[in-house]
Amino acid sequence: MEALMKSLCEAYGPSGEEKEIRALIENAVKDSVDRIYTDNLGNLLAVREGPEPALLLSAHMDEIGVIVTHIDENGFLRIAPVGGVAPHLLLGQRLRFKNGAVGTVYHEKLKELRDLDWSKLYLDLGAGSAAEAKNVAQIGDMACLHQPFDSLNGRYMAKALDDRVGCAILIETARRLAGAPLPQAICFLFSVQEEVGLRGATTAAYSIQPGYGLAVDVTRAGDTPKAPLMEVSLGKGPAIKVKDSSVICSPKVRRFMMEVASQHEIPYQLEVLERGGTDAGAIHLSRGGVPTGALSIPCRYIHTASEMVDAADIQNAVKLLEILCRTSWSEGVS
Amino acid sequence: MKEAQLTDILLELSENAGVAGDEEGVVGLAARYFRQYTDRVETDRFGNLIAFKRGEKNGTGEQVSLAVLTHIDEIGAMVTKIEAEGFLRFTSVGGIDPRTLLGQAVVVHGRTPLTGVIGALAPHLLSEKERKKELKMEHLFIDLGLTREQALERLNVGDFISLEQKPLKLPTGCITGKSLDNRAGVAAAIFCAAELAGMKHDADIYFVTTLQEEVGLRGAVTAAYGLAPDLAVAVDVTHGELPGLSSGDVFKLGQGVTIALGPNIHPALSGLLKELAREQRIPYQPEPIPASSSTDAWAAQVSREGIPAALLSIPLRYMHSVVEMLHPDDLTGCGRLLSHFARSVDRRFVEGLACF
Repeated sequence: MEALMKSLCEAYGPSGEEKEIRALIENAVKDSVDRIYTDNLGNLLAVREGPEPALLLSAHMDEIGVIVTHIDENGFLRIAPVGGVAPHLLLGQRLRFKNGAVGTVYHEKLKELRDLDWSKLYLDLGAGSAAEAKNVAQIGDMACLHQPFDSLNGRYMAKALDDRVGCAILIETARRLAGAPLPQAICFLFSVQEEVGLRGATTAAYSIQPGYGLAVDVTRAGDTPKAPLMEVSLGKGPAIKVKDSSVICSPKVRRFMMEVASQHEIPYQLEVLERGGTDAGAIHLSRGGVPTGALSIPCRYIHTASEMVDAADIQNAVKLLEILCRTSWSEGVS
Repeated sequence: MKEAQLTDILLELSENAGVAGDEEGVVGLAARYFRQYTDRVETDRFGNLIAFKRGEKNGTGEQVSLAVLTHIDEIGAMVTKIEAEGFLRFTSVGGIDPRTLLGQAVVVHGRTPLTGVIGALAPHLLSEKERKKELKMEHLFIDLGLTREQALERLNVGDFISLEQKPLKLPTGCITGKSLDNRAGVAAAIFCAAELAGMKHDADIYFVTTLQEEVGLRGAVTAAYGLAPDLAVAVDVTHGELPGLSSGDVFKLGQGVTIALGPNIHPALSGLLKELAREQRIPYQPEPIPASSSTDAWAAQVSREGIPAALLSIPLRYMHSVVEMLHPDDLTGCGRLLSHFARSVDRRFVEGLACF
């Protein structure tokens, strides 16, 4: 899975520009499913046929980034955030455009660092003039963080682990289920535009009309020095979400997930995320309502160039997800 | 239904816990009342309670349907961490104000309900500077009188926490307690159902007690989609008059339910409500709302092809505290107005709505 994770994390795909990452995922998962297609918004849907009601598994393939808003006469670019990006975390970072062009971000002269905001930031492509810059990037072009994937002693560090780790878990689960009979149809959704408001999952859930939903995404960890008060740690198992800003997970789905994990001795943690949302927020409010849960990979430094997760949590998430797919949700969730 | 019976129902609804996401108990209580006055009571996939009262025109081709949306959830909290000493850290569920929490009794809904308190450092232990500091949720903790080991046996991260408060009837008749936002709306809907019992009306009526309003109108989103009614009326609370606040933003207790006006509200619906109130001598106060009403009416309005919506609100002081206060006359007035509205709407009225 490490090679898969590396290729997914290093790929380009800010919200709305998911073509490259979509093609990668499509190649990785297409042989494991009955049907695969892209919808009007760009969501990738990989379907295993089976009895209704279907189970919708969702991981978002988009990542945070920036969009070019202005190019000045000296060739410096002004940028705005795409998704939840903190300006101070971009200082000195390298950013990459779809065409491979790379630049770095710095700030105008400031009295104090706390005066930093987006209007003080610029992106330097090494261009000597507006014309040179415009050869490389146009207004409206998006860039993502440019960082390699690193494997550290059982932990992984990369950009866009949010939520390429979820994509990798869905792909690996589909592979393990390939050819096996299933108690329900399963739709693996690789959603677009989660970072700008759960937009891909909103329309995908509407069109699929699933019986149940489950989002796989990252969550914050409370195990770093003087971290916010949160019980989740890296390496103690995937987290079964209770609540975040977008959803209070269906208690029935949550209980079902906890029971299955306990029965199979898969470690898990319970997650209460104070700020942040996930595709589950969109799925559970689709049409007349969809009982929905979420499985989260504890992750440090979310929305930075060096997000960090634990390999064992990923393995345990795949294990749990595979069993959940092989179990009837109509019977289990009641 | 007599006013005394209505206030008793409200006191009972208020005293029970039903934090957003954990409303099952109080929904069961509301179901008991709706069952007495309607034809069918069920819950939808989201958990919203739907009590159906069949209209005369059901199945005739001239049928019309009205959803009365009253959210039954209340604000509360959730356990985020069990500290080494056994104290619990928590986060809010809905718009809870940390300033109102010090010294408050709570129930943690663990394996069994556990009563505890939200403690605060004694003033003796605070420096002058610390005493002036803004109070944040992260400074607060719940004390159940348990060690961490005892706590771990009885509860878990993610357990819901409700605020504990016994409601009171004051000598003036005013009622004070927790979660009158929006058990008052639910009580008014029950009152309306009781008024309509045995009466003939054209419209099919769905009394919907919605869930998770306090965290983003979520129950109303799925209920409005699922039922696809021709019309929706939400019943909720609004801010009651207080010294120092201007009269356009707050409303007098005991002077009548408010009828909302503004972009969230279909003018024909608010027009009919005002007309009926005048006709029936039910006092009301007009409430202009320039944008979102932040109520179930806001969610219903843009469901499916659009659902013409109205909003009735009961004036209430100290919203989102455990000492919310309202006047029962506004409650009965609201219930009566709602029942007259339910009896007035017919196919012709609905067809006229597209003519602005």
